Amino acid sequence: MDFFQNLMLGLNVALSLNNLFYCFLGVLIGTVVGVIPGLGVLAAISMLFPMTFGLEPTTALIMLAGIWYGTTYGGSTASILLNLPGTPANAITCLDGFAMAKQGRGAVALFMTTIASFFGATVGIILLTLFTPVIAEYALNFRSAEYFSLMLMGLVAASTISSGSAIRGFAMVILGILIGLVGMDSQTSTLRYTFGVLGLLEGVSLIALAMGVFGVAEIIMSVRRVRAADIDPETLKLRAIWPTRDDVNRSWFPMVRGSSIGSFFGTLPGTGPSIAAFLSYAIEKRISRSPKRFGNGAIEGIMAPEAANNAADQTAFIPTLSLGVPGSATMALMLGVLMIHGIAPGPSMITDQPELFWGLIMSFWIGNIFLLVLNIPLIGLWVRLLTIPYHILYPAVLVFICIGAYTSGFSELYVWMVFFFGVLGFLMRVLDFPGAPLLLGFVLGPLMEEHFRRAMLLSRGDFMTFFDRPISGAIMALTGLILVWGIWSGQTYKNKTAQNESSNDST
Amino acid sequence: MKNIITAFALSIGMMTSGLVQSAYPDGPVTIVVPYSPSGNTDVFVRHVAPYLEKIWGQTVVIDNKPGGGSMVGTAYVANAKPDGKTFLVTTSAFVTAPAVQLDLPFDSRKDLIPVANVGYVSYILVTNANSGFKNLQEFVAASKDSPKFAATAGLGTTTHFAIEQFAAASGAKVDVVHYKGGGPAVVSIMNGEADIYGSSVSSAGKNLKAGKIRPLAVLGDERIKALPEVPSTRELGYPSTEIKQWVGVFAPAGTDPAIIKKLNADINTVLRDEKLIAKLTPLDWTLEQSTPGGFAKQVDVELTKWKRLAAEKGIKK
Repeated sequence: MDFFQNLMLGLNVALSLNNLFYCFLGVLIGTVVGVIPGLGVLAAISMLFPMTFGLEPTTALIMLAGIWYGTTYGGSTASILLNLPGTPANAITCLDGFAMAKQGRGAVALFMTTIASFFGATVGIILLTLFTPVIAEYALNFRSAEYFSLMLMGLVAASTISSGSAIRGFAMVILGILIGLVGMDSQTSTLRYTFGVLGLLEGVSLIALAMGVFGVAEIIMSVRRVRAADIDPETLKLRAIWPTRDDVNRSWFPMVRGSSIGSFFGTLPGTGPSIAAFLSYAIEKRISRSPKRFGNGAIEGIMAPEAANNAADQTAFIPTLSLGVPGSATMALMLGVLMIHGIAPGPSMITDQPELFWGLIMSFWIGNIFLLVLNIPLIGLWVRLLTIPYHILYPAVLVFICIGAYTSGFSELYVWMVFFFGVLGFLMRVLDFPGAPLLLGFVLGPLMEEHFRRAMLLSRGDFMTFFDRPISGAIMALTGLILVWGIWSGQTYKNKTAQNESSNDST
Repeated sequence: MKNIITAFALSIGMMTSGLVQSAYPDGPVTIVVPYSPSGNTDVFVRHVAPYLEKIWGQTVVIDNKPGGGSMVGTAYVANAKPDGKTFLVTTSAFVTAPAVQLDLPFDSRKDLIPVANVGYVSYILVTNANSGFKNLQEFVAASKDSPKFAATAGLGTTTHFAIEQFAAASGAKVDVVHYKGGGPAVVSIMNGEADIYGSSVSSAGKNLKAGKIRPLAVLGDERIKALPEVPSTRELGYPSTEIKQWVGVFAPAGTDPAIIKKLNADINTVLRDEKLIAKLTPLDWTLEQSTPGGFAKQVDVELTKWKRLAAEKGIKK
């Protein structure tokens, strides 16, 4: 059967020594980045992005994807031990995870979240494997109008759902689109905002933008905020990890529910693992017979969100790989990798580059098995990592950012761009403007313009083409609903007390 | 006195150029490719580079400088030091892009010296297998009733001029729609968004074999080996629609003529290598032997030709 042939092909690719190595490297870096609070996945991927240029595109993606799902594993460690989320997707795990650690059950929490993560990821990968080719097959019929509508929905969703304030999200999307306009226009080759700088002909560098807004800004912010931690290693010995029978019984259903919720929200543009984790926690609490236990070390409260965020990590690849439409800023970076290697992301990619697609998917299995190994026996190592002083860690990271930016185009212009976007990113953090919509607007804006103008050309100037084609029309209607909902919930948000982590959502 | 100095300077100049000829190159050579890694041109250069390394006994560094439809890397070499250590390997975008990008920071004729034309790929007109156009004449006739959409791989690319030239010569009525690269352009033919596309054989590749897209004609005077059953446009009664995407080597203006000559000779030697030919022919490359003078003439003629077509068609006002 074709399907199994493809799986075997993928396994072959993923099991090559080179890919195994980079997969391991990716999940290792991911775990480190996840464990250290304040260093997010977007920052990590942006910084390591230039390193992948010399690699085969498949290998590059395998590694970056490894970082992506690796951080979510590692992120729970800091949540549980320090009450500081390693990544925004693990924020909710703090509530019950830290409570468990205080009761001396930290090792159990770490062990069980690893199991939940693995379970969630497994569900996500299975869905990814089954559905992506089907969707891609169908999407071959998508034309410019459909793509435009899809991207519009992605942007609207990203700006209204993932951040607290819809207006701020929108502002950042627009700013991102404006920055995306820099360079040569694709339909007339007119220069826009290049100010005679030849290096800007191809537009602002995605790498420089991401490294600046996420990497540099994050480091500046962390300088005053995060401190190295004191942890008692005695409570974290390997023999302390075994859960009780009651723990196991309570974990089973939250894990299943978390995985389903995560898988669903992972595929939607703008939601991603953070929203999935928050929602699955809320649902567990609502359906629980003893909701009072939540916040006091209820194991359901760590199992559901950790299964959800890992499932979402995997299913986020569905729209990215099947349609070439990224649902989140990180996925936009993954597409950037493909484009830099001259591969056009889109529905024909799976058939044109079967080694890449199936190899990547099979590498997810392998990566998750690596993560099991990394997270259970080696937990002590990660705990020690939490005690590295940041005044050593961060300057080193900054140096790597500059090297990475320079080597991405061998031009000092890129280093200046990083500097500029670092300042911009810092100001955005201070003023509480979210960064993810900016990056998404930057990547999707030019694509949207391209598809819009093409659709208009093909319909000979008739705007109705976006509404009278059934698929495009349905997506447009959905976009309208999301917009209305976003504005409405934005109002309620205003009335509620300010939530500080909502703006740091960098999925 | 002045004369003596001039004579002295001249003789030194001659001596050094003589020296250069025997010792060239005395350090690593950088080949700038104005496209991303793993694109057609990049793959080509990576195949050729090891052969040059063997002849020269020097490292050959491949430097990808993509952007601006190849014009970023081209401008970089136009401003590079003419010491024989930096060359450009680019495509016929060198002659087509300047026809639509009017404010380039270099002069295509003055700032770069053509060194060698290494080879070319042919273009074919393709349409969807279910489109109902059985041959090119049917398509041309139908387009005169209601205009059709023609896909390109981007404004100012060879695929763009391929279709513009064909439309001008055949009287077919087409509106061009630009896509980002050959892949999306082929998809647009497969899903019926665009009606015709002037594609390279390799870009149409798999889908051509799978029968999802139908080749109507080879844009040229003769049929090609890769698709012997597809007629050429000349046979079908559309002469002067030939277009090839060539790959050529350029050096910054001011490079020693002796170096240009040696470089051309070395490249020709490499292109005669049987092993290399065997590797590149399946990718639809036809390798050529050229002289700097002959290539310069060709580049000059094409620069004028595409600029005129762009002006006539009102592509860039």
